Amino acid sequence: MKSAGYNPPQRMMDKCSSWVVMAAWVCLVPTAHAANWERPAADLAKQIAAIAGPGPARLVVRNNSSLVSGEVPAIRRLLERDLRGFGVIAGGGDSATLIRITLSENLHGGLWVAEVVEGTETRVTMLPVGLGTTAATGGPSLTLRRNLMITETEPVLDAQMFSVGGVERLVVLEPERIVTYVRNAAPLVAGSEYASWIEDQHFGIGHGRPFPRDMRGELVAAGDHSFDAYIPGVLCSGTNTGAQIAPACADSDDPWPSGATQRGFYNALRDYFTGVLAPGFGMELAPFYSASDIPRPTGTGMLMGGVDGKVTLIENRVLKPVSGANDWGSDFAVIRSGCGSGAQVVVSGSGAAAVGDSLRAYEIAGREAIALSAPLAVEGAVTAIHAANDGTSATVIVRRDGPLRYEVWNVSAFCN
Amino acid sequence: MCRRFVISGSGKLWLTERGLPPRLKPGSFRGSYGAAEAVPLQIRNLIRHFLACLLLASAALPGCARTRPHYGGTLRIETEGDPWQTPDGIARRLVLDTLTTVDDGGGARSALAVRWESQNADHRWEFWIRTGVHFQDGTLLTPDAVAAALDETCSHAGAACPWRAAHAVGPSVIFTSDSPAPDLPELLGQTAFAIARQDATGAVVGTGPFRVTGFVNGALTLVANDDCWAGRPFVDAVEVRSRRMVRDQWLDLSVGKADIVEVPPELVRQAQQQHLNVLVSRPVDLLALTIAPDSAMASREMRQAAALAVDRTALYNVIFQKQGEVTASLLPEGLSGYSFLFPSAQDLDRARALRGGTGGSGLTLSASDTSAPMQLAAERLALNLHEAGFNVQMAPANAHQAPLQLRRVHLEAGSPRAAFDEMLLRLGQNGTVTGTDAAALWNAERGILDNETVVPLLWLPRAWAAGERVRDLRLAVDGEPLLADASVEGGK
Repeated sequence: MKSAGYNPPQRMMDKCSSWVVMAAWVCLVPTAHAANWERPAADLAKQIAAIAGPGPARLVVRNNSSLVSGEVPAIRRLLERDLRGFGVIAGGGDSATLIRITLSENLHGGLWVAEVVEGTETRVTMLPVGLGTTAATGGPSLTLRRNLMITETEPVLDAQMFSVGGVERLVVLEPERIVTYVRNAAPLVAGSEYASWIEDQHFGIGHGRPFPRDMRGELVAAGDHSFDAYIPGVLCSGTNTGAQIAPACADSDDPWPSGATQRGFYNALRDYFTGVLAPGFGMELAPFYSASDIPRPTGTGMLMGGVDGKVTLIENRVLKPVSGANDWGSDFAVIRSGCGSGAQVVVSGSGAAAVGDSLRAYEIAGREAIALSAPLAVEGAVTAIHAANDGTSATVIVRRDGPLRYEVWNVSAFCN
Repeated sequence: MCRRFVISGSGKLWLTERGLPPRLKPGSFRGSYGAAEAVPLQIRNLIRHFLACLLLASAALPGCARTRPHYGGTLRIETEGDPWQTPDGIARRLVLDTLTTVDDGGGARSALAVRWESQNADHRWEFWIRTGVHFQDGTLLTPDAVAAALDETCSHAGAACPWRAAHAVGPSVIFTSDSPAPDLPELLGQTAFAIARQDATGAVVGTGPFRVTGFVNGALTLVANDDCWAGRPFVDAVEVRSRRMVRDQWLDLSVGKADIVEVPPELVRQAQQQHLNVLVSRPVDLLALTIAPDSAMASREMRQAAALAVDRTALYNVIFQKQGEVTASLLPEGLSGYSFLFPSAQDLDRARALRGGTGGSGLTLSASDTSAPMQLAAERLALNLHEAGFNVQMAPANAHQAPLQLRRVHLEAGSPRAAFDEMLLRLGQNGTVTGTDAAALWNAERGILDNETVVPLLWLPRAWAAGERVRDLRLAVDGEPLLADASVEGGK
């Protein structure tokens, strides 16, 4: 009889291996950080040696940047080692030469400044250095994960994958143009499953009247051609000519798809849908920002985020207020994850854009929105959320400042 | 069930059920939830009572969800200065546009110019002008109009334009300059180079998001420009009440008579302690002592002595309440990354030694404005100079003949190189940057400061306090509020 007190051998192996992984991670992470500074330390040491010449020197390193102080000793060690390689021996306390290194930062990133002081003369050399960032997330019963697809300097309204002539393309909708990308072999972010993209084609979007200031747009898969791009007052159809795309744009006030069977009229001078749906539900609806089909036990409902901030659910032609959605932003997307009830709502979170935004997955149980994931911190402001074409993930557009750029993230939900 | 057919502009027929016509006048949508209409009155009263309680309870909670900006409403702003003053008058920015704008990263982005190209090693620039843009009086914006507006700007006395000539050629405007102007796109984003013209009545009109409609009871009123090329602003109107004392501005904010008010740097801490919603910019105003290199201060040693005598820390700690940063550089540390290389500590012994034992003739010191902190700062500087042996008398504010001037110089540029060039223009200095890296800029700046005619003292931020109904208010790179992108609660 097997004793219940023992773990099966496989579990022990798992635990053991996880400890090994953890120990390796603890050991390797500082090394990995140090490795990030290998190149700049070597470059700066070379520059210092060029103006100081060989010999003993006092080395002072101070941190004036956003680098965590724990990284400074590692950088100092690297600098000492590299300077030694050029014949500059750091550490002579009574040396006449002082090398003062300031790990500074400016608008473009890190700036390492070395001052070589000999008597009354000070010589200066500088080295621009990249500063890296990291992020991590987690959640109670479901975890949101994000993968960076592409970063643009122009505003992005939507981005979706379409297959054109057997070639998978990333189509990016901007206010003034549509850009298509094809895959590049090298990944955009090391370790990411997503490929980087190479610009393939771009097309200008002509429009007769100014666009609204809070610009919105959607890319939707079309039946008889690749896609339709809806932007205020303009409809572009992306048709394929062989392996290429040939969009045709025209002024249009046709309603935009709002779920599988409904279309919503968009106010082309503002940033919301008028509340008029075609064919509609037999009731008057207030203007809304977002609407999406959502699976319900009784069939398919429609979730709507009103201009007044209220979230409502239309189910069996009855309009029901949804509670627990007070901290929802204006945009959301319904995705099929396979977790929980199978469908979750990914919403932009609360908080001022200046301190960063967040994403969170909810389920609608009855008339209540229940958070299923922890908030996924977003460094920047979420400007749009759209369900991806296959419905299993969401495309999230994030505006980041300093320098201004727009990141396109693919956000998926994973069961815990 | 009531059904309705809607024909969209493309001629397609759309069937809606009890729907509103899709092309109602913007802002007129007043749809109510059909189901809610059926709720009995007592329940609705109960709900109202509950919501009122909830509202009171939520007053203590942090900010609500980030939602898209709402349209409508009037934004009321109060300022101490003239809203039309150059270069940073708040109304000028609402009415006029520039060829480019500067983003948070300091880069130039397209505005009235859609693209640009440098030729002849940055001596010649071509800017293609956006088509289909109209001035607020209906006149079409053309390259000729742009060139004429810029000529008018440069013809003003004291105007410093970083080009020799600007002329229209086809769809673009060509700028030529004697020396390379690598950062011209960034410099053209400054409000000093905004594009304006006079309409038939002589009033200044632009292509910006608002147009002036009048000046009534001390308030300048501007209304949204529906045809603005960058999109209609979210609020319907902006009222700018100028020449209001800061104390009165805060009072108006507290009683809901103002939405956005100024917070001088020395009062930022106090505003935060009073729990005002304060937005503080990065350092954008340089407080600097300028020394005329003539008469008593003709020698570099004398100017250097004056520079070493000033106690920046006292200005920072006492007068400006630890806002901004102590500096001896023409650029803020966050922009250049090297400003610490310029020593900023007071050294009275060395100052006295450099000045020597000569009695010297009297000097006068004047502040560039009459504000209390500037006067206090000028008096403190005079005291510092006395300690170093200088005979300094205070002159009234704006006494331009005074050899020592305490100036507050505003910075609009967002990139180190453009900021350096802008500071040179504003301070009337000449300098050349040979190279594109930080070291080249530092060398050029060192060359300017070695002359000791400009003594940077402090970099100060700009700050604004916003009322509870203001949403999505952000500050531009130069610390001015971006009012066209802000909205107010209660708008549609």
